[in-house]
Amino acid sequence: MLGFTIKRSLLLIPVFFAASIVAFLLIHLVPGDPVDSLLTVGSPPEQRQILTERYGLDKPLVVQYGIWIWGVLQGDLGTAIIMRRPVADLMADALPHSIALGVSAFLFYTVVGVTLGVTAALFRDRWPDRVIMTGVLFGSTLPSFWLGLLLMLVFSVWLGWLPVSGARGASSLVLPVLTIGLGGTALVTRITRVAMVETQRKDFVMLLHAKGMHPLRIQLLRVLHHALIPVVTILALRIGFVLGGAITVEIVFARPGIGTLLIRGIMQHDYPVVQACLLMLSTAVILGTFLGDVLQALMDPRARANLS
Amino acid sequence: MTRHHRHLWAGLGLSAMLSFSAPAMADELVAALKGAEVGVSTYDMLKAINSNVASTLIYDSLIEQDANHGYVPALAESWEEAPDGLQWTFHLKKGVKFHNGVDFNAQAVADWLAMFKGTDFEYYLGAVKEIVVVDEYTIRLDMTRSDPNLLYNLSTPFGGVMEPGARKADGDNYGLTAAVGTGPYKLESFAVGQETVLVRNDDYTWGAKTATNTGPANIERIRLREIGEASTSFLELQTGGVDMLLGVPQEFLSEAAGLPNIKLMTMPELEIYYLGMNVTAAPFDDIRVRQAAALAVNQQAIKDNLFGGAGNTPSTFMIASLPEEKVADQFRIKFDMDRAKALLDEAGWVAGADGIRAKDGQPLKITLWTQSDSNFRRVTEVIQAQLKDAGFAADIVTFDSATIRDQYKAGTHQAAVRSYFYDNATILDWFFGGDRLGYPNISMLNDPKAEELRNTAMTGSKTGEEFTKNFIAYHEYILSQFPFAPIYEPVGNVAYNADRVIMPETINSPVFQRAAVMDLKLAN
Repeated sequence: MLGFTIKRSLLLIPVFFAASIVAFLLIHLVPGDPVDSLLTVGSPPEQRQILTERYGLDKPLVVQYGIWIWGVLQGDLGTAIIMRRPVADLMADALPHSIALGVSAFLFYTVVGVTLGVTAALFRDRWPDRVIMTGVLFGSTLPSFWLGLLLMLVFSVWLGWLPVSGARGASSLVLPVLTIGLGGTALVTRITRVAMVETQRKDFVMLLHAKGMHPLRIQLLRVLHHALIPVVTILALRIGFVLGGAITVEIVFARPGIGTLLIRGIMQHDYPVVQACLLMLSTAVILGTFLGDVLQALMDPRARANLS
Repeated sequence: MTRHHRHLWAGLGLSAMLSFSAPAMADELVAALKGAEVGVSTYDMLKAINSNVASTLIYDSLIEQDANHGYVPALAESWEEAPDGLQWTFHLKKGVKFHNGVDFNAQAVADWLAMFKGTDFEYYLGAVKEIVVVDEYTIRLDMTRSDPNLLYNLSTPFGGVMEPGARKADGDNYGLTAAVGTGPYKLESFAVGQETVLVRNDDYTWGAKTATNTGPANIERIRLREIGEASTSFLELQTGGVDMLLGVPQEFLSEAAGLPNIKLMTMPELEIYYLGMNVTAAPFDDIRVRQAAALAVNQQAIKDNLFGGAGNTPSTFMIASLPEEKVADQFRIKFDMDRAKALLDEAGWVAGADGIRAKDGQPLKITLWTQSDSNFRRVTEVIQAQLKDAGFAADIVTFDSATIRDQYKAGTHQAAVRSYFYDNATILDWFFGGDRLGYPNISMLNDPKAEELRNTAMTGSKTGEEFTKNFIAYHEYILSQFPFAPIYEPVGNVAYNADRVIMPETINSPVFQRAAVMDLKLAN
């Protein structure tokens, strides 16, 4: 298992560099120039050149990438051209908000999704299953932007229970968590149900029934144990999206976070901010995938052999 | 843990959660910033790219503008300009203190002005040769040339006077954790992208007379929230999460007007929508075609049908309140469809059966660039229809705001619906200067006569009167070349909860800023 983990972790290095190149090129290849935002009425025409040189934007892209990635490897994410602060500081301000939202939503849809998936599988083709799966269908098709506004309307405007937006305290987390969580719940519920139903058909389950083991014990102890392998893998893969999966929700609920920072950076063509946000989000996905692989290998020796 | 205990903890948890949604404090005004003011990243005005109302509350400037864009004494109680425009002397108010207790005087102003050097905004004082402290309350700027932008630059939020010692001491944190000015409010906290909290400066008695109340301010605390999504900020107003919206998008105006206790107030804005035409690209390289397109724009119909009759119908390139907007009547561009059609006939563009004109077998087809924002799209669609009435077939191409600037630089565009925010006549230099072709001069106007008038206006205006006269002449010439068509001048809309906020009857500032806040009161 140790050899497997080391091999997989070595693979992360080239993937990280590939992600850094993509993160760098994505914003540089999009038309737009941050210097345009720095020039104001009254600035002399030569000011464009002065600022372009000041921010190193006159250098070839390869050189700009080299300077940036060398800084990143030394822990320096650079200074935002438009937002005028060290990018590390901007991210340090945003990250706790994104983690609070992402982790809460992750926990919500894991707990609720697994519970609903197991319930649906236990009552397969009966009314609880149909009710749950209809709800899941709605949850997976509602756009988060629309769902967020709907939740605001119900819980803030009509009922007056929760604040509409902002990041002042725990109550302001409830609606954003629900907005992300309902979509995630749909996915986890479906996967859990499918995995449970497939496991229920396995020979060893029939054998346990034949031996006279209590059906509920079979379902909750044996079937669920096997069914959780794909569920855990999918959840581990989603860890990477914990930070970046809330961009729309952060905007709708006026919450600070990595998503809001990224959108601001893109709108203003603030290269260092966009590069750092994309690199961080892609690194989170890479690490999430790695964790997913390791967990899967730990839980299922067959998977370990395949992944090796 | 017993069942009773579990219920107790659950109840406490729930009540703690719900307590966070408590309404604003009694003596605290909670306002949502308007969209254009969202996203300020620092209150260090030598670093900031954009500003919001808080900048004008933390910092006073030497000079303020009133609602008519006249210059009004603020920290400078008077000023004189030498007849040749090469010397400005400012007499400063006495008894003024910065928030940290440091005295405001000529040396502080000199040190603050010196800090511009080496920043991205050094050009603000590009014409200043020397800063001379004449005495404790008099400062003189010796100039290398006359600078038409000097007073304007000193009157904007970026001309807010910062305490030099505090800025040096706080280093990179200045503008984030501390911002020290002489303004009516002190910075209590700033969560970037989230909110700015200000507390009243109780010593403030030196406010400019743009407000009735010269200090201290009536409201103890102000919380300015940044809510980028318009529908969210509107729901916040509805639920009492905010007391005021400093900007109400057009699409929410009718709904806001129907809400109990919510009142709307219009404010002047600094924005002009216009149709820019590339004078170097066919068919707009023919002045008759440009004039025809300009005369086909029905400003009144746009104002009435798209904006519910609110705002102004511009006939020049500038907002109505600027003195340089007062050009002779014959230069004003006003809707005249008959004349537009006659001009196209004269230029050889003949109307076809479908109404689209053609010349030498080529249809009068143009691409009309616009931005992805909903107002731009709506305005552009109406312009497309109005141009069609004159015989143009216009295809709309949409870009985001950053991309479109890069596209202009290629110079391949024909026409574009645009807008700008600015309240000084030097905007003409920015958008029509021959050395700024592509972007920002999307009209690509590079004409010797225009350049001569521009140079006279920009560098030959020694006094305020000369500045106005020269810029009117430059403005009139540009209008005569039809490189653009004015479309619409919006007004700003402020919505407030009348149970919480008492709004002054008149606001004597160009936009909602310091003067407006000084006269605001909270209802008991």
